[in-house]
Amino acid sequence: MSTGAQPEPAATRPRPAARRRAWRWQDYILLGLALFACSYFAWKTNVVFKYNWDWSSVWPFLFRLDPASGRWTPNILVEGFFTTIRLAVWGILIAGVVGTLMGLARNSRRLFLRLLSGAYVMLIRNVPPVVFVFVFVFFIASQIMPRLALAETVAGLPPLAQSVVAFFFGSPKLIDNFALGLICLSVFSGAYVTEIVRAGIESVPRSQIEAGESLGLSRPDIVRYVILPQAMRNVLPPMAGQFIQLIKDSSLVSLVSIQELSFMAQDVQVSTQRVFEVFVFVGVVYFVICFTLSLLFARLERRAAAAYR
Amino acid sequence: MNRFKRMLGIATMLFTALAWVQPVSAQENLVDTIKKRGKLQVGFSSFVPWAMRDKQGQWVGFEIDVANKLAKDLGVQLELIPTAWDGIIPSLIASKFDVIIGGMSVTPARLEQIDFTEAYSTSGQGIAASKKLAANLKWPDGYNSPNVTFTCRRGATPCKLIEEKWPKATLRQFDDDAIAFQEVINGNAHATVSSEPKPTFFALKNPDTLFKPTDVKLTVSSEGFGVRKNNKAALASFNDWIAKNKDFLAARHKYWFGTQDWAAMVPAS
Repeated sequence: MSTGAQPEPAATRPRPAARRRAWRWQDYILLGLALFACSYFAWKTNVVFKYNWDWSSVWPFLFRLDPASGRWTPNILVEGFFTTIRLAVWGILIAGVVGTLMGLARNSRRLFLRLLSGAYVMLIRNVPPVVFVFVFVFFIASQIMPRLALAETVAGLPPLAQSVVAFFFGSPKLIDNFALGLICLSVFSGAYVTEIVRAGIESVPRSQIEAGESLGLSRPDIVRYVILPQAMRNVLPPMAGQFIQLIKDSSLVSLVSIQELSFMAQDVQVSTQRVFEVFVFVGVVYFVICFTLSLLFARLERRAAAAYR
Repeated sequence: MNRFKRMLGIATMLFTALAWVQPVSAQENLVDTIKKRGKLQVGFSSFVPWAMRDKQGQWVGFEIDVANKLAKDLGVQLELIPTAWDGIIPSLIASKFDVIIGGMSVTPARLEQIDFTEAYSTSGQGIAASKKLAANLKWPDGYNSPNVTFTCRRGATPCKLIEEKWPKATLRQFDDDAIAFQEVINGNAHATVSSEPKPTFFALKNPDTLFKPTDVKLTVSSEGFGVRKNNKAALASFNDWIAKNKDFLAARHKYWFGTQDWAAMVPAS
């Protein structure tokens, strides 16, 4: 990259040179070698690894023919997939909000806010995720969740509201379970988002803030119109990485029996004894979800880059 | 020192908050709670043929039959709460459900954390070994060597058993049984121990790769319902139920463990 280590004002940053698109002979040789290595591994695996692939026992868990209504309905793997999607969407939203607020607090003038957000980040970032999930669920959330009485509240709602809740948060019966996983995941990922946001805020040149001050903008307005838009644009790539990480981390909460894709997959694995088919299937599904998000962020980055032109 | 005082203040606030959220129900009457709620919440983990998913995604298995009958006799609905095996005891202690009906065998270590009812079923541990690696090993002493690798489901009774019977052998633990067996089928481990009839079924299903060094059960263990400590009344009422339903339990046990009549319900190959 030509930008180098010197921080330059964003507006004058030179665009990278156009990339070469034509293939040369070295590329063909490399491609050939890579293909050869892949097929060698595939062949070798077949020799070493005794396994009769049988996908027929996995498909029934995607959709089932409901005997009562005679219609095809989602079975547990598809239900788990939707739970993972719900965890991902809400998790990204909540972790994004928590991370932005905490990221602002990290740069706050108030000592208390700085200490609070600093403690939050340090505590979560330096504990292994599995330990955090267990401690959070059994010691903290199990005290708070019964007081929220979510399931009872939802059960008391009119049917229409219940189906709306079901669309956004999944089956009302499992709402406690879902909320638990969601809070856990958002609090956990929020810490990483906080640091990304902090980096973004610190990347905004001091002169921008001074310019805002000289225009007579209030402190909240400077944050809203000057700092955050530039900060967020600058941190889109690591933010994409963190949100993709969040989706993959959502499989961690299966440890505490949140019924998302990984948890359901484990049930299917045990019930059918088809270990690797289920693994491969789950891997492909996570790839598709995360890849879609990658493409989405690539679009956002292009739009953000357009803002500098 | 101002900052120190402030931190002290924050710490005090946090502890007060924690004290507030401590649960108040030290002495609960579980049976009353269940009846008032109108729902029996049962924690369990998937394990063939104790509890597994059928083609409709519904739970079937020995535990499910037991839990259904228990709920019916209590006059309440049944709520099944599938739980990861690793966290099943902490989940019970954290009141995520009322009782574990999960094929959990009674062990001294578990008794330190929770109470168990009288046995509602007994099961034995069996062994399946790899033809490629273990065919020439002398049973059972040949298995007690660092070169021999056993697999088991983490946190389950067989792991303990392997450590006691073959202390020199290498032990590798997996999150679920299917993988523990797969490692032996692949020839990466010598043998695995699990609750019968699973080792027998697997050996029958994979005659080229697996064999049974012995058909004698390695140990016999008994399973009880797991209940939180300090629940004398609930324990007594569950024990009462188990005593009254001896025939039912024996019949269901025979169906799930003694026959393969249920195999068509489950999409296993």
